[in-house]
Amino acid sequence: MGYIIIQLVLMVGLAPLINGIIKKVKAFSQKRKGAPILQMYYDIGKLLKKEMVVSETSSWIYKAAPYVVFGSTAAAALLVPAVTNAGGLNAAFSGGDVLVLLYTLALGRFFLMLAGLDTGSTFGGMGSSREGMISSLMEPSILIGLFTLGLASGSLSIKMIMSESLSKVCPIADPVYIIIFFVLVIVLLAETCRIPVDDPATHLELTMVHEAMILEYSGRQLALMELAAAVKQLILMTLIVNIFFPITAVLPAGVPGVAIMIILYIVRIVLLAVVIGVVEVCIVKLRFFSIPNLAALSFILAIIGFVNYFVIGR
Amino acid sequence: MSLSDNEFIFTLSILLLLAGAIAAIVFSRKHKAANIISNCFCIGASALGAVSVIRHLLDGGGIKQVFTFTSNIPLIEISLRYDNLSSYFLLILFVLTFAVSIYSIGYISHYYGKRAVGVFNFLYCSFILSMMMVMLAGNLITFFIAWELMSVTSYFLVVFEHEKSENVKAGTVYIIMTHLGAAFIMAALMIMYALTGESMIIGSNGLFADIPEAFKNLCFIFFILGFGTKAGIIPFHIWLPKAHPAASSNISALMSGFMIKTAIYGILRFTLGCFGVSEVWWGTTILVLGIIAAVLGVAYALMEHNIKRLLAYHSIENIGIIFIGLGIGFLALSKGNSFVAGIAIAAALFHTMNHALFKGGLFLGAGSIQYSTNTKDIEQLGGLIKKMPLTAIFMLCFSLAISAIVPFNGFVSEWLTYQSIFAFLSEGSLGMDLIIILSAAALAFAGALAAVCFVKLFGISFLGLPRSESAKAAKEVPVTMLSGMGILAALCLAFGLFPRLVLKVIAAVTSEIAGLSLLENISNSTIPICSGISIGNNRMSMAALLVVIVVLVVAAIIGVRLTGGKGRSRGFGTWDCGFVEINERMQYTATGFSKPIRIVFRLLYRPYRKLTVKGEIPEYFPDKMEYKVGTVSIFEKYIYDVIIRWLQRFSRRVKYTVQTGSIHMYLSYILVTVIALMLYGRLF
Repeated sequence: MGYIIIQLVLMVGLAPLINGIIKKVKAFSQKRKGAPILQMYYDIGKLLKKEMVVSETSSWIYKAAPYVVFGSTAAAALLVPAVTNAGGLNAAFSGGDVLVLLYTLALGRFFLMLAGLDTGSTFGGMGSSREGMISSLMEPSILIGLFTLGLASGSLSIKMIMSESLSKVCPIADPVYIIIFFVLVIVLLAETCRIPVDDPATHLELTMVHEAMILEYSGRQLALMELAAAVKQLILMTLIVNIFFPITAVLPAGVPGVAIMIILYIVRIVLLAVVIGVVEVCIVKLRFFSIPNLAALSFILAIIGFVNYFVIGR
Repeated sequence: MSLSDNEFIFTLSILLLLAGAIAAIVFSRKHKAANIISNCFCIGASALGAVSVIRHLLDGGGIKQVFTFTSNIPLIEISLRYDNLSSYFLLILFVLTFAVSIYSIGYISHYYGKRAVGVFNFLYCSFILSMMMVMLAGNLITFFIAWELMSVTSYFLVVFEHEKSENVKAGTVYIIMTHLGAAFIMAALMIMYALTGESMIIGSNGLFADIPEAFKNLCFIFFILGFGTKAGIIPFHIWLPKAHPAASSNISALMSGFMIKTAIYGILRFTLGCFGVSEVWWGTTILVLGIIAAVLGVAYALMEHNIKRLLAYHSIENIGIIFIGLGIGFLALSKGNSFVAGIAIAAALFHTMNHALFKGGLFLGAGSIQYSTNTKDIEQLGGLIKKMPLTAIFMLCFSLAISAIVPFNGFVSEWLTYQSIFAFLSEGSLGMDLIIILSAAALAFAGALAAVCFVKLFGISFLGLPRSESAKAAKEVPVTMLSGMGILAALCLAFGLFPRLVLKVIAAVTSEIAGLSLLENISNSTIPICSGISIGNNRMSMAALLVVIVVLVVAAIIGVRLTGGKGRSRGFGTWDCGFVEINERMQYTATGFSKPIRIVFRLLYRPYRKLTVKGEIPEYFPDKMEYKVGTVSIFEKYIYDVIIRWLQRFSRRVKYTVQTGSIHMYLSYILVTVIALMLYGRLF
């Protein structure tokens, strides 16, 4: 139980920091000072206190969506253990496997897309429609990627996949893992609406996806939506760091070990956030109808990774 | 003979259905009485039937005789009996009929005074009876008679609103396709009888298993063609999206919820039950057909804006998912792996049940929308959630269930299918890896596209502003219709949260048809009340997950309240960019919503646009402009149209050369035939 609470606090508490770091990296590259790293915390704090403006067209779906999206994303966050070493894996919540994770996130996405349509605004519909296309194109590759990792570790359970990584010396050097790593990075960029798929910094109707769906939200509802998006990003990042870059050193179980692991986890997440920031700086946003090419690339990579597993990985 | 006797209850349920059919005719002058009485008989019959088959399955099953009739005509023997496989499918039928009949009490009220309600209800009861008979058919001849009865009664129900020419056309396509399929089935049944002399299919002596391999393969091909047509497997699907919109919604619910599943029953009964799976390519064929149907079915559904046609395409998708499960199961059986086969076939059977529940519900919901707005076109709808709040909630449940989203039943059966795929792959030595992983990818892709499609269906028709006068005037439907949908929605949630209730029943089926033990493999989870499933280390418990989500939502509500105080909110119009106020014409349409996917997969859809300008000099003074966008069905254009053209050319030639209309010619044909027959009798 203690671990589950630590996990929840860690995932929800850390999520806004990642956006701050990525923004800082981008500001740095543009020779700007940029907003403080903790800006998103301030934003959420402010939004929680502000008055909400609710569209008169909307129904209960619109009001329920922020809570459903946040609740399902936070539940998904529980399924992905952050602290893998020092006994953390055994104690983590085991309500489901990789598939449960994907379809729990899908619950949030379903309500997010409905919320976009609920206000009768064109922006919302546009965002939902685009989100639908991107997510359905990405779904096969994320599934094959995780299936391949599952095959390598003999189970689809996220815990087992992570403990298999712990038992390897350097998982990223494995020919199967390195290809799936790239698949998951592409999925991370697409699912969290980052460049090259979407630009989170703009509010331009030509490009926006996630921002368009939540355009009508304000106040605490907006705070929950933004927080849920950040948590979803952290879930995918946690998957990546704990599967591909695990801390394999033997640590003592108990409070000191867990504390060290939490610090190491944060360090790895921050490093990955910096890398994502650099990637965002270095590449351009794709034209919307070039995204299928990216999806095809990640799908082919996933298939190659899968074939790799059967040819050499075993 | 008491109520504790299972066969007695079962017979009673058949008699009640017959009584319902007769009552409908007897009271046919009083529309309301005919409708209510005959539907009440159906409700009673299905409740009794469900109780009896559940009891039968939980008691361990076996074969039960219901009725036998031996006539003096050779080979004609009617035998009605059931075993575990039929019981399971009958259970699906009874559950669905129960809900649909309650719904029909309210729904058919819009026929009062306009149509022959008595005839409709008579056909309705006979349709249910004929589907029951297909499940109960104990021998080959009964099966074929029941199969044809089912096709014919459903044909009459499809063309019931016969004054619309498109309905008659849909009925014609349906009856032609279904008879083409029936021809293949009949050929296969005749081969089976000719080679063995055995006719019992339920409780047979096992002679069918000794049919030579080549003939088994031939029969398998015929069964796939025949049953595949009924199931709507691509490319034999063309009747499905035509027949469902033509039929009234309660009939569509039964047709899509159960009638197309009789094909799954047929495949299981004949290939698995009678022959036993030995060939690897059987499983591969089913798997490939499943992948194609799952992906293309949902892809075509996305382009449809007629609710019922959209749902019909989703039936194709779901049949594809069931076929994927069956295919994995057949492959595993042919490789002799009963562990994987058990999970896969259980997944297919579970999805059959689930699809009946949510697709039945969705068609009922579509009927409710049509009942109160008089349209099937979702581009005409909008904002219904405020007018029909309960229908909206039920439709949302069904939409989540069919998109395989937690915590509904659709997810559980897809999870099981994924697990069978994973188990198959991790056995390692079974081969076929690439096609198997592609089926997993197809499942994921179909699931994601289904979610998009149901966001479209629900979002465009229930949310936003009403797009037409009739949508503005919509009212909530009568309570009988609501309760029909409510029962199905509740079952969708219940089977999602407590899947082992169903798996316990399925275990009796898998152990009977292929000797596969299921419950040991889907072992007891630590989480109580039948909620969790665990296969190896892969665990799933929707009940636990739902509790977690609810706790987190409550925590979020409390947390927000603590940090932000009591929320202030103010209603205002949707942001209109500072121009004129937003109206319903500015909303996103269903066409617009699916446009990105239409563009990405333009190779499949062949989208076209047509702008016709009318006027005296249309370039300069247009009076009227018409803009049309659409997609082309490649199967109809490149397969069916070609065949039809070829057939027409052939029949034209026959008309001028053979069927000339001259009596002398016909007399000489008869003479030649008689001589040929006599020679045949003499020589062979």
